[in-house]
Amino acid sequence: MIHFCEWLEKNPWIMAIDSSVVISLILEILHYSGFFLLVGAMVIVDLRVMGLAARRRTPIEVANQLFPWMWTGLCMVLLSGFFMFAGDAPDFYQAITFRIKILVVLVAIAFGLIVRHYVPRWGELPSIPFGAKIVACLSLVLWIGAILISVEVPAISGVG
Amino acid sequence: MFHFFMAIAKWLQNTWWALDISGSTWAYPFVQMTHFTGLSLWVGTNLALDLRLLGIGSKRQTASQLSSALFAWNWTGLLIAITGGFMLFSSAATKYIPNPAFEIKLGILVPVGILWHIFVQWHARAREQADVVSPFGKFAGLLELLLWFSVITAAVSIPNFDVH
Repeated sequence: MIHFCEWLEKNPWIMAIDSSVVISLILEILHYSGFFLLVGAMVIVDLRVMGLAARRRTPIEVANQLFPWMWTGLCMVLLSGFFMFAGDAPDFYQAITFRIKILVVLVAIAFGLIVRHYVPRWGELPSIPFGAKIVACLSLVLWIGAILISVEVPAISGVG
Repeated sequence: MFHFFMAIAKWLQNTWWALDISGSTWAYPFVQMTHFTGLSLWVGTNLALDLRLLGIGSKRQTASQLSSALFAWNWTGLLIAITGGFMLFSSAATKYIPNPAFEIKLGILVPVGILWHIFVQWHARAREQADVVSPFGKFAGLLELLLWFSVITAAVSIPNFDVH
């Protein structure tokens, strides 16, 4: 994996992108914007499933409205994140905080997919099951944890 | 004027909450997390409306319906972001005041962005009830998108102008 990272870092396309201040800035803006869109949408859906907000609307209404934005944000994050990672791939790969961040984000996405898959069923029940609320709570904690770890990656590891 | 702001910054930096935040290993990241969580709601819902006005992404709802649906989340997010942001600012106020990126972000871009957002929200709810957004609505959404991208640019540039 480290060899792949070293190859990626030395790729001429990646080096050209990484050396451009304008492109690097655009990537950073896209990454932040995508993250805000993704996490903002998930936070609202999770709070609705937990029954803590937007109770005038059904969970499926909230989910149908916001999941497209979640996917849009996720695409922005993954695309920009790849290019940001590639420019310093070996350093990012070796940074423990970055690995923890990716792990937390992947688990958060998995929980988001679980919520997406089951929310139509949960919405048809007389009340949201307790287990569903636990899943939504975990999803919320994971996304907020992802924010915490993301702001700590450059501070602790010195990368990014 | 600068000396006046620096005097307030010095006072703020010595308040109990600012000293707690700057002296604690976990308080600062927690406050940053609060600021970013608020921003996720505020900027995320702004972006959703702006993209809808531009005709990009989900068209399940009209811009008017989307604006109404996201209204409470939008302003709750700003409140949380301001709370976290104020705490962050307090902990290192004398470093932020002379920072040109911070001055541009908070002195110009954020106030302009919030004022324009109030107008965009009103316009979307009052005038964009059809599936197809008017040309002015698209312009309004694009301008707001550019304003918030500028705020993010200024925010990520703050560390590049750190005064030591």
